[in-house]
Amino acid sequence: MKNPITPPEDSHQIRCRKLGHQISFSYCRIENLNIPCSKILECWADHFNAAEYLKFELTPDEWEKAFETAPKPKISTLLDLIEHAKKVKENASR
Amino acid sequence: MEIKKIFLPESELPRQWYNILADMPTPMEPPLHPGTGKPVGPEDLAPIFPMNLIEQEVSPKRFIDIPEEVLKVYSIWRPTPMYRAYNLEKFLKTPAKIYFKNEGVSPAGSHKPNTSVPQAYYNKVAGTKRITTETGAGQWGSALSMACSFFGIECKVYMVKISYNQKPYRRLMMETWGASCVASPSTETKAGQSILAQNPDSPGSLGIAISEAVEAAVTGKDTKYSLGSVLNHVMLHQTVIGLECQKQMAIAGDYPDVVIGCAGGGSNFAGCAFPFVRDKINGKNIDIIAVEPLSCPTMTRGPFAYDFGDTVMMTPLMPMHTLGHSFVPAPIHAGGLRYHGMAPTVSQLILDGLIRPEAVPQLETFQAGITFARTEGFISAPETNHAIAMLIREAIKAREEGKKKTILMNWSGHGLVDMAAYEAYMRGKLSDHALPEDEIHRALNDIAVLPKPKQYRAGKI
Repeated sequence: MKNPITPPEDSHQIRCRKLGHQISFSYCRIENLNIPCSKILECWADHFNAAEYLKFELTPDEWEKAFETAPKPKISTLLDLIEHAKKVKENASR
Repeated sequence: MEIKKIFLPESELPRQWYNILADMPTPMEPPLHPGTGKPVGPEDLAPIFPMNLIEQEVSPKRFIDIPEEVLKVYSIWRPTPMYRAYNLEKFLKTPAKIYFKNEGVSPAGSHKPNTSVPQAYYNKVAGTKRITTETGAGQWGSALSMACSFFGIECKVYMVKISYNQKPYRRLMMETWGASCVASPSTETKAGQSILAQNPDSPGSLGIAISEAVEAAVTGKDTKYSLGSVLNHVMLHQTVIGLECQKQMAIAGDYPDVVIGCAGGGSNFAGCAFPFVRDKINGKNIDIIAVEPLSCPTMTRGPFAYDFGDTVMMTPLMPMHTLGHSFVPAPIHAGGLRYHGMAPTVSQLILDGLIRPEAVPQLETFQAGITFARTEGFISAPETNHAIAMLIREAIKAREEGKKKTILMNWSGHGLVDMAAYEAYMRGKLSDHALPEDEIHRALNDIAVLPKPKQYRAGKI
């Protein structure tokens, strides 16, 4: 079934508060490793019914991963990345 | 003759930064390590930050000396001028006295070098040879590139690929200052390689870029990582702004009733506001306003419907505005500044009622920026326009109330490499559409039965 809602074309750009420049919906749609940016509903709500559009597009798992998972505080993200990078370093030295 | 600019002589450049951690009414809990569940210790952060910066991150000292070498670099653009906005006052027909602190005079064009310079310095002292970071449009990347060039440190910037392609000028600024700037995802890290293997055309994201920058810091010899916002030591370094403002206000024979700054990660806001927060804690009557984007105006109409615990409990509980699962279940808090990308100190001070968060819609910010440009001359960064919009609201309120308020705003940076955003506004490509009333009512009905927050303290509802 075709999604009854059409997202804005790439020529329609809004300012991304993460990146600090203009971006299109198609980028926000795949920003988080091919699932939407967690702020997409908030940022695009003024421009079209992004929530309804994405409900049609995403699986329940994708929806949950994108919008119902608590984002981590920065320090927590850094600690996770440090642990991950340590493993990369260990593997490289083997 | 009216005095337009209030200058401080270089001899009056503050010799110490102010550390808000010493005066927090609610002491900050140490973050917990997600792996161990124990409080984060210096050794946990040592793979990416030098120990002297980690010490600052957790220091309880109220004032911390600014090293002479940092002061020497600061003196290139500091002390920055504070302006009296006579033209804007006249345009708004307000009895308010409006002052703005011009942080756009730094070589990189924003407040960011206030922390990139000390971060580069402390890394130099600690023996770091190379610093990595991530950047989007490049404001932080360019500030760090400049700072590294002053201290002879190699700088590697992982720039989100979509930004790398769309924002060539800041990339060229970074390269002019000697940094190596690569599009992220890159082939230089395992994190980047993994993404490219899945999608060779990936446009990247800040999440991927930070993964690359941290990996490069952890795996590289004599390499550390640098972050331009959120962390305590970043807020600390930025307080040089507010400390200068206090001296300049004294020269002007004034003191602000209202202090305004825009807040994304919180560093420029904190830099200007924290010294005044200290005054407020000590009894001054000041309205300190942090301004954020209001992309979805209807969010402020949603009630606090349920709790949302922070994963590491850096804030006790997080009540959220919501219009319900059938509408927007994302962890949104319009007007609350409790995004996880916000500095925990700023979030806590909101909860403590010392800072008032406000949100302004997009069109109002650009209209404000254009009004500012046509009265005071300066073209502001789009983020800075949020502060200007709130400044104008407060000035009009003073007019309507007939009050002679003194308002101070931090003008955090110029917008001369952000003109595409202005073009979109001036060509009518931006809009603030209110959502239909019946849709809002339907969503609110859906969540009427959800539990109310267990905790609520000050902050905007």
